[in-house]
Amino acid sequence: MLGLLALATACQRAPYRATARLAPVTARPVARPLPDDPAAAALIAPYHDKVTAQMTEVLGTAPAALVKNPGESGLINFVGDLQRERAAAVLGQPVALGVITNGAMRAGFPAGAITLGSVFEMMPFENELVVVEAPGEVVRQLFTAFARSKTPVAGATYAVSFDGMPADIRIGGQPFDPNQDRLYAIALSDYLASGGDYLDFFKPLPQRHTGVLLRTAIADQVRAFTKAGKPVTATVEGRVRVQ
Amino acid sequence: MERRDFLRNTLLGTAGLTGLTVLGGLGAAAAPAKKGPLKLTILHTNDMHSRIEPFPDNGGQWAGLGGMARRAALIKEVRAQEANVLLLDSGDIFQGTPYFNFFGGELEYKLMTQMGYDASTLGNHDFDNGVEGLQRQLPHAGFPFLVANYDFAQSALAGKFQPYKVFDKAGIRVGVFGLGIELNGLVLDRNFTGITCLDPVAKAREMVTRLRGPEKCDFVICHSHLGYQYKTAKIDDRKLAAEITGIDLILGGHTHTFLEKPEAVAGPGGHQTLINQVGWSGINLGRLDFEFAPGGKRGGLAQASVLPVGVG
Repeated sequence: MLGLLALATACQRAPYRATARLAPVTARPVARPLPDDPAAAALIAPYHDKVTAQMTEVLGTAPAALVKNPGESGLINFVGDLQRERAAAVLGQPVALGVITNGAMRAGFPAGAITLGSVFEMMPFENELVVVEAPGEVVRQLFTAFARSKTPVAGATYAVSFDGMPADIRIGGQPFDPNQDRLYAIALSDYLASGGDYLDFFKPLPQRHTGVLLRTAIADQVRAFTKAGKPVTATVEGRVRVQ
Repeated sequence: MERRDFLRNTLLGTAGLTGLTVLGGLGAAAAPAKKGPLKLTILHTNDMHSRIEPFPDNGGQWAGLGGMARRAALIKEVRAQEANVLLLDSGDIFQGTPYFNFFGGELEYKLMTQMGYDASTLGNHDFDNGVEGLQRQLPHAGFPFLVANYDFAQSALAGKFQPYKVFDKAGIRVGVFGLGIELNGLVLDRNFTGITCLDPVAKAREMVTRLRGPEKCDFVICHSHLGYQYKTAKIDDRKLAAEITGIDLILGGHTHTFLEKPEAVAGPGGHQTLINQVGWSGINLGRLDFEFAPGGKRGGLAQASVLPVGVG
């Protein structure tokens, strides 16, 4: 009967109280010299072989690394420019601007061989290159948003004033007037065109499809450099001037 | 008194099978009180982003780090030493290496299943191949996805996910629920068709009430993909911990925050919530150990009293 009593109490026991007894290192690094678990390694192997067969294809060479950093970089200029060029070629019309954020590029290119794998590291997303036709007011909002992070826009130059506002915006070398009654063709990923990275102002604009993945456009540009006998280089040109 | 003594003597005196069985059962049920505290080891990851293999040796800051086969080895090492292990993930399993582009997350789920993950929640990038892309991979996941603040009823994923799960670890009832980030603005509209994001704070409150109340949990874990902290009013793990009473541990994600050790945040009424997040890409495996001893009230939400069973 005592047994019954104790067991019954255990079923409706009082709650346990938890005390943290934290190990000296609560974030254990997953690094050498940890061995590979054989079962996991065996599961990975066939997938690995399929991926590496394609990823190790060398598309081009970069004499210096194209480094990802906030604001203007050779890398962001390279991608913004190729977006404009590719979209213009596909749609058969001039494209005034190319827009990409630093957050949308997940890595830069290392110095040396650029493989298809490098392009995947940089642009893992299945984003399509699209074109929107933006009125002056949307373009104004774009520069206002980009000035905060001093991010360049391909096809344009501008200055950032002391209070973080854009000034002296020039598109194709011409001063930008938001009140001018015209549309600006902008090449960008469908992610950004759909309001991603908080670029809500693009959201209402209809998207014209190119049918080209942004990653494919990047890989093709590297291939094009190589075909023309050129290494992949890109420079900071002062597209954003900080005042 | 006389009656009790008589009973005890009878039990102990009956050196036969029955007496031993009862005492044996008693010993097992009352083990925590008699053999010191019970221990629970929580292992966790967040934002693994398809990092199947370590970062390449020319991969910059994280070169050579991570790798799921190594993580599996580390988890096995811990399991060999600890009886009660709970292995959890806080979302963004998908996206970041060609493995995802080629196989859509299949290998990530298979490896996590092999490692014995108990549960994960959903991150925004887990929708990168849309509702269908996620649905296609679910058969490869031998563990549940817990998310309390997404309403899937009008989507192709209706009925696929649970808000919470209660794990029984050697008698300790551990309630785990998940919270996902607002998908608007982060995920293409067409990639989360039919899914409604609900207020994570209200849902967390509902979960705690449920888990501490009818589910009689001793310990409540939230695996969150909300993010560690924002300077804006946007909800984050620290704000959640400060607003809600009764979450013991938030295992966070989304912001790729490397915390060297968990942060304690006092909620209303002084209940302490620990928050932890271990970077991204499986560079680290989080490990938190807790001891459990009887005592205290169940978060103020327990049954009015534990009724002694009057026998005879």
